[in-house]
Amino acid sequence: MTLLLEKPARSDSPAARAPYWTMRRRDTLAGWLMVAPQLAGIVTFVLVPLGLVVWYSVHEWNVLAGTFEFVGGDNYQALANDQQLGPVLRATGLFSVGLVVLNLSLALFLAVLLNQKLRGTVVFRTLFFSPVVVTLVAWTIVWGFLLQDNGGVNAFLHVFGINGPNWLRSGGAAMVSVIVVQLFKNVGLNMVLFLAALQGVPAELYEAARIDGASAWARFRRVTVPLISPTILLTMILTIVGSLQVFAQIAVLTQGGPGTSTTVLVYYLYQQAFQFHHFGYGATLSLVLFLIVLVLTVVQWQMRKRWVFHEN
Amino acid sequence: MRLRLLIYGLLLVCCVPFVFPIWWMATTSLKPVSEIFAFPPSLLPASPTLDAYRQVFALQPFGRQYVNSLYIALVVTIGTLAVSSLAGYAFARVRFRGSGAVFLIVLTGLLVPNEVTIIPLYKMFDAFGLVDTHWPLILIPMLGAPSVLATFIMRQFFITLPSELEEAGRVDGLGRFGLFWRVCLPLARPAIGAVAIFTFLHSWNLYLEPIVFLSSKQKFTIPQALTQYVDAYGGPMWNTQLAAATLSALPVLIIFILAQRQFVEGLAQTGLKG
Amino acid sequence: MKILTAALSAAALLAAAGCGGGSGSGASSSGPIDLRMTIWSANAKHLALFDQIAAGYKKDHPEIGKITFESIPFDSYTTTLTTQIGGGNVPDLAWIFESNAPDFVSSGALEPIDKDPDLVPSTTTNWEKDGKLYAYPFSTSPLGVFVNTDLVKAAGRPAPAQQIASGTWTWDEAAKTAAAVQAKTGKGGLVVGDFDYKGWDTLNAIWSGWGARPWSKDGKSCQFDQPQMVDAMTFVHKLIFTGKGMPGPGITKDFFAGDSSMVLTQISRAALLEKAKFHWDLVPLPKGPAGAYSVVGQAGIGVFKRGKHADAAKQFLTYFSNAQNSAKLAEFFPPPRKSELNAATLAKANPLLKPAQLDSVVVKGIENGTIKPSHTGYAELQQTVRAALDPLWKPDADVKTVLSGVCSKINPLLAK
Repeated sequence: MTLLLEKPARSDSPAARAPYWTMRRRDTLAGWLMVAPQLAGIVTFVLVPLGLVVWYSVHEWNVLAGTFEFVGGDNYQALANDQQLGPVLRATGLFSVGLVVLNLSLALFLAVLLNQKLRGTVVFRTLFFSPVVVTLVAWTIVWGFLLQDNGGVNAFLHVFGINGPNWLRSGGAAMVSVIVVQLFKNVGLNMVLFLAALQGVPAELYEAARIDGASAWARFRRVTVPLISPTILLTMILTIVGSLQVFAQIAVLTQGGPGTSTTVLVYYLYQQAFQFHHFGYGATLSLVLFLIVLVLTVVQWQMRKRWVFHEN
Repeated sequence: MRLRLLIYGLLLVCCVPFVFPIWWMATTSLKPVSEIFAFPPSLLPASPTLDAYRQVFALQPFGRQYVNSLYIALVVTIGTLAVSSLAGYAFARVRFRGSGAVFLIVLTGLLVPNEVTIIPLYKMFDAFGLVDTHWPLILIPMLGAPSVLATFIMRQFFITLPSELEEAGRVDGLGRFGLFWRVCLPLARPAIGAVAIFTFLHSWNLYLEPIVFLSSKQKFTIPQALTQYVDAYGGPMWNTQLAAATLSALPVLIIFILAQRQFVEGLAQTGLKG
Repeated sequence: MKILTAALSAAALLAAAGCGGGSGSGASSSGPIDLRMTIWSANAKHLALFDQIAAGYKKDHPEIGKITFESIPFDSYTTTLTTQIGGGNVPDLAWIFESNAPDFVSSGALEPIDKDPDLVPSTTTNWEKDGKLYAYPFSTSPLGVFVNTDLVKAAGRPAPAQQIASGTWTWDEAAKTAAAVQAKTGKGGLVVGDFDYKGWDTLNAIWSGWGARPWSKDGKSCQFDQPQMVDAMTFVHKLIFTGKGMPGPGITKDFFAGDSSMVLTQISRAALLEKAKFHWDLVPLPKGPAGAYSVVGQAGIGVFKRGKHADAAKQFLTYFSNAQNSAKLAEFFPPPRKSELNAATLAKANPLLKPAQLDSVVVKGIENGTIKPSHTGYAELQQTVRAALDPLWKPDADVKTVLSGVCSKINPLLAK
């Protein structure tokens, strides 16, 4: 690919003289060369595999026997009849909505606190951000200990006279646990982005609003939120896409249980393909996941026009 | 004054779930197994021991695995920066035929979680004899789906640059690559910082790919190695696991704390705010 | 980028060349033959022993290049192995769990191997199809109960060894001891190894005492709702929630760290007691309502048909499992051979255990033991039952309803 990059340099001098090389043509060549590595990567590592997934979804692949047979719509039929799918989609939705709402509100809350020009906020900012740099698996393992029935979290709650639930063993609590572990791991990232956005809001606007007699809450809603809305959109997209890919936490903490209460779609398709060896059905589930992400992204992109204050 | 106290109070309370797990991990790795599950848990080990740390290195080539994780993350970061800054610049500033279509194609990368394509990718790398090597862990994030986010961030940043800058460059006789390299890239430091951090952390945390692609211990990465601390019969070795977890987290954490200003501010100053 | 592209194509060429050279399996090709065995142990002592055996083999077999023992984590073992096979990266040999045996044996993925007449018949049934043996049952580890006698004494209960002598070592008595330890010392009572409220199939070691089975012998119908199973599970439920004799879900009490009075597990875990700071004993499983019984955990080694050197792998397996090496392996894995299945041989390999313990638990256990349930499509059954059993692990659960629920979930899978 270095070869490709060198090309325009060589063709530069004749291009200056030859009328054929208009700026437009040169830009087209340069543009294509610049996106070539990325485009080639996406085709090789995303589009071709995606096509193969579609191909696998109309086949039944018996890994152990080494057979690969065309089964037509069988896997799609199975999808329609899968009683497990409903609960799985519900868990996926709960996790994503829960995580996005909690993550964005906590991130914004912390960012607002840190934005009050106080001494020592750098220390707090560092502390809130530090889980981001801790290895995800290490973080999850540690929370696994803390969330045991006789673990640190319940001991902490006990100090305040609260009898904590058996976090990883009862349905609702397990979902809360998985969300919370992910929340504290990554909220620092969004917090920093919000903090930067908040610092970009001109102080004069607050002054003006104050003079107009707006309350603190009104100033937050009318001035802050619209001005940082592009950041809100971006963090939202990142968090949603991330939430749909949650895997290590489920694998380490609950393995989808208790019952199937924390079996989210990614975990379910991993189970079907890699644990139960239904690769064909796993591929079919991958397509469902793909469709969900696609629809969500298109919807968010449309919404952007409605409520994002300014787009560059 | 009262408001200030309230804010400090809130900040302190909020700290607990961020700091306590790290504290607990580090202190508990010094406890003997019998003390780990004591209820209520103790804040400091009563009889600290470094046994677990000895075990970490005795059971697995942990140092080697550390180097693996580190160099993979670095290579991926540098490679991603090259790929995404070029593509991001082209999408943001170069008007070329088909750019819209290409951008859409590249964006599909954001829509396809790794888990979706892991089976075909495995078969592809195996066809090239690259299973149980670090190539899949380097090539896929660098060129495939995970790099799209990087390209997107770079694009968002380059869009914000005023067009007068490039016009001045053009007058000086710079071509497209000259404009990219001499004019725009030096200005993109915050975005580069953000992409570097995102990419490094993504690679550093990778879990599913290593467990699928790697099988020799010498080649393992840290997250994968962490779940390997079990006795000969699959029984967990709690304190050893925690010691390894601590070792995986503390150095990065210390580097981060020392360099946190550049780290966080670099991240904050990106074009992400739009 | 250029280097990278070059490296990629070079690697591709190499891979193609490697495939071409290796495809003539068994034929005396020019290059050395490399063998790879996937295992789930990561124990340094195990690996040292395997390497030693491999080195011995290579001495007499110059055609063999490297023999690698590849540890894959226990938890994700079968998953990773299958992924490798699916990707075409088939190992030459692999350890296989007993519960997955039907999947591997019936799929035709394995090469048939020679059946040594020295093998105890009960150890091979799980690995046979149409009269042929498809894996060598290198580890047949009976389940026993390790007892922390200090804790039992502190709770004022008779030691299990005494109860065995007087013929009163029953599950009811064991439950009383467990509950008493919990009540008097605050430590855990009885722990079922690897259960952790997920590995329900380990409870096999208990319900077999009631004569219960998870599904019928032909594997076609669910038997979780049968009276024996309901009784056995009611016992377990009471032990956990009424007697508090078993640590509840989400509570860890590690026997080997001295935190519980009894653990029901494979005898090979005696190795974990090397540095124990308490007095301990190993006893057979208590008698259940259906009488005395024993349960064996098993693992086999199979040779893959689609491995690059199936014939060479078979020969190596024959050497790996011959009488001499089997005696060495006995230090960690109880052997399936009649000639070695006696307390004297085992005592040499297991210095921590007394001959009497070995005789009562190991020798008798392997001869009469039932093995863990197995079935084709086991991973899916395992998960489905695990999810359906979760409601049982609550104080107010209705055992019968939950177990009928299990059957309604798994019957469609069993019927497949």
